[in-house]
Amino acid sequence: MEATLNLELRGDAGKGVARKLRRAGRVPAIVYGGGEAPVMVSVEAQEALHLFQAISVENTILNLSLGDANERVLVREVQTHPFRPEILHVDFLRIRRGVPIEVQVPVHLSGIAAGVRIDGGRMDQVTHDIPVKCVPSKIPEAIEVDVTSFAVGDVLRAGDLDLPDDVENLADPGLVICGVASPTISLDEEDEAAEDVYDEDGPAAQPESDGES
Amino acid sequence: MLAPKRVKRRKTHKGKMRGKAYRGSRVSFGEYGLQSTEAGWITNRQIESARVAITRHVKRSGKVWIRIFPDKPVTKKPAETRMGKGKGNPEQWVAVVKPGRMMFELEGVTAETARRAMQLASFKLPVRTQFVVRESQL
Repeated sequence: MEATLNLELRGDAGKGVARKLRRAGRVPAIVYGGGEAPVMVSVEAQEALHLFQAISVENTILNLSLGDANERVLVREVQTHPFRPEILHVDFLRIRRGVPIEVQVPVHLSGIAAGVRIDGGRMDQVTHDIPVKCVPSKIPEAIEVDVTSFAVGDVLRAGDLDLPDDVENLADPGLVICGVASPTISLDEEDEAAEDVYDEDGPAAQPESDGES
Repeated sequence: MLAPKRVKRRKTHKGKMRGKAYRGSRVSFGEYGLQSTEAGWITNRQIESARVAITRHVKRSGKVWIRIFPDKPVTKKPAETRMGKGKGNPEQWVAVVKPGRMMFELEGVTAETARRAMQLASFKLPVRTQFVVRESQL
């Protein structure tokens, strides 16, 4: 998958310049890698936000248009505001045709596991993306895993993933991707536990010292 | 209820709640999260109450993560006591929460159920919150 983004050069660095840019509706960014010097740029904030919400950010190749020049890049990092949908800064990594790169690819689970559907277990996805190495043109958009046959207690590990031939899995083969956990607490027990909390009428918890007076 | 097992100091200063939570501000374990958008002290009773609200709504499905821990003691002087004579007695434990802090996470339920469960939890908390979905994070 590929997308396009328009950039403008920026001359100065520093937090004052960055804040001025953000007030003007732009986001400071940098383009680096590929054996060339890094270039400080800025990008339209709304355009970047809409694009990044529409694509899989880590593994989509972007065509950056910077004046007359064009760069093919990957997004290496997006710094965001802690709780508002605002982008603070973007790192772009230049890529070269035919040169393998490392990227994070999301793992998507499809279907409802038999252990969940029949036995009432719970599908627990522990790892949501894994590192892979491949040439830019072969980066998979996502790794789809069909979990419909998974029973309670079954675990999928990174080594079990079925990747295309020209994509190298860099994750530890023993890394757990997902598993079907058995329901540990029954409804009645949980409700009783909850009632206990509500019925508690004792004094507030007192901090305890380990000898400090 | 959540409380530290042992502490080095029985009483602490009030402290400040400046700035935003740059760490612990993303959905890291589950699919859905409840994020604080303002600063405040959350007591262990409020955390427990919110947890019970979530657990009851999702029934036995799903898994809940509590990503805040009340490790700060709050003291209180007894009623009808004159001022002075030292700091009051520890009365409760609170977690200091800054804007952006992901307080609860949930997995294994539908988006609608998660949204309602988090709304019920937010009613128990003294800070404004927002519902966050992992997929919508950049």
